[in-house]
Amino acid sequence: MKNGFRIFLAALVALGFSWCAFVLAPVLQLGAEKQTTVLNSSDLYPVQRGDFAAQGLQVYRANGCAACHTAQVQQDGVGCDVVLTGMGTNQPADFKAFMKSLCELPDLQNCSDSLSKNLAAWNGALPKILLHGAREADAGKLADKLSAAGLKSEVRIVATGPDIARDWGLRHSVAEDFLWDDPVQLGSVRIGPDLANVGARFPDARWQLLHLYAPQVVVKGSTMPPFRYLFKMEKTRGEPAPDALKLPRELAPPSGYEVVPTDQARELAAYLLSLRAEVPLHDAPFTPPAPAPARPNKP
Amino acid sequence: MSDESDHIPPEPPGRPPGPRSPAPMGFFILTLVLLFLAAVYFDHHSGWFNAQVYHPFVNANELEKYQPKSGEAALLARGMATYERVCGVCHGNDGAGKPGQAPPLAGSEWVLENGVNRLTHIPLTGLSGAVDVKGQTWNLSMPAMGAALSDADLAAVLTYIRGSWGNKAGPVTPAQVKAARAAVAGQPPINGLQALKALPE
Ligand code: HEC
Ligand code: HEC
Repeated sequence: MKNGFRIFLAALVALGFSWCAFVLAPVLQLGAEKQTTVLNSSDLYPVQRGDFAAQGLQVYRANGCAACHTAQVQQDGVGCDVVLTGMGTNQPADFKAFMKSLCELPDLQNCSDSLSKNLAAWNGALPKILLHGAREADAGKLADKLSAAGLKSEVRIVATGPDIARDWGLRHSVAEDFLWDDPVQLGSVRIGPDLANVGARFPDARWQLLHLYAPQVVVKGSTMPPFRYLFKMEKTRGEPAPDALKLPRELAPPSGYEVVPTDQARELAAYLLSLRAEVPLHDAPFTPPAPAPARPNKP
Repeated sequence: MSDESDHIPPEPPGRPPGPRSPAPMGFFILTLVLLFLAAVYFDHHSGWFNAQVYHPFVNANELEKYQPKSGEAALLARGMATYERVCGVCHGNDGAGKPGQAPPLAGSEWVLENGVNRLTHIPLTGLSGAVDVKGQTWNLSMPAMGAALSDADLAAVLTYIRGSWGNKAGPVTPAQVKAARAAVAGQPPINGLQALKALPE
């Protein structure tokens, strides 16, 4: 072969270049990712899963759940809500007049339309959202004007986008969310809903187990296949087992028997409950809904 | 690739080979400069490869702008959530206490004290024996309910109980909690009124 060395060199450069772009660059960028703290708090995030839930990730993978489910929330935009929380010593009527004068200020001309629209149908109930999805600069200006007039307000950061509107999460997924996942089960097809935050949506292990055994029982018309082989039928010994499924008549086992989850099903449910991407982080900021929901106890 | 020309069939006669002038160097330089500028523009709008910056944020400054404020309002909201999770079962979500279970926090002299040292010690070590709260003697025992909370969370809780249900006292900072935590390490619960009063205010 005549130009062997040159071909070798060209191939080396081409492969080396793509190796740099697809392996080296991501490792430099994200390879040192470690636990961070929840925004405005010293709690570490993400908390490492217990062995049981960590094993559940392997069950999730083995059953191909990622073929139908993603675990990554996308976000299109971010905006500020200005919420009026207290009137101070002002009367609602004065307040309306005051807001009218604000709407005419050139400072706030970007948002005066939505301001007057929001106020038109206001009955005086607090808290009241004055501005929704505004730019940070506009929200800050309005909040300053309100506090100068002795009114109490709060600027809330809200993430927006179709995934968030579907209630699949409060913010986009970030690299830290997947810190303890090996392998990461991002998924790319959404035949079912996104599961990045499913533990917060359905915090009840019994719901999860019943849904795995018979999706159609809990969600009418569900097209998710049942995963019955993760459960076993057993003779009831005395009292029914605490995690025996409560099934409707047509699915119920013959009397004297009960359907109980195998360890695999329990692990999978524990994994699903551990999927909670609901706290704000530095790289995914938002204002948590107040008061923050108390965390239900994990089983 | 000069030796390749050996294999090219000779030009048919009658067509003189065109002039072989080198491509202008300026053209290559311009292309490189444009490519470089394009890359800079691209990076500028994608956060300079900063691992913290995700769509829809375009750079670290913009991300900074959208951080929720960590002001007093945020602290109170957090304190309320933690209080209702950890302390509310005994002291009540309204801070009024429960007969036979826990004394009130609303209006309690221990909560409203100017100095926060004693107040910070109570959830860190627990409290037992007879104590007077609002003119009534309680002889119960409270476990070290705050020991498992982070400094920031406990500070938020204490700030919340000092500023709610009609209480009007200043905030407690995480630094104060941290100092108290270091001071009480390994100590038994405060036992009775005398021991509580013996602590510096
Ligand atoms: C053939 C595609 C498919 C596969 C495979 C699949 N699912 Fe689903 N899943 C769906 C669909 C469709 C829904 C929506 C209807 C429903 O809730 O049952 C769903 C819903 C869910 C929900 C409820 C989410 C919500 O927000 O309503 C959970 C949890 C879930 N699946 C978990 C799993 C797990 C765990 C596996 C693997 C054992 C799995 N799914 C495999 C299609 C699938
Ligand atoms: C298990 C029930 C219980 C929980 C939970 C609890 N307490 Fe108490 N607390 C008590 C009891 C009982 C006393 C009275 C102790 C005594 O009589 O010696 C007390 C006393 C106090 C006092 C001093 C007396 C007063 O009313 O001012 C403070 C302050 C206090 N608790 C704060 C807290 C805070 C803050 C938390 C949450 C971190 C908390 N407690 C959680 C039971 C509880």
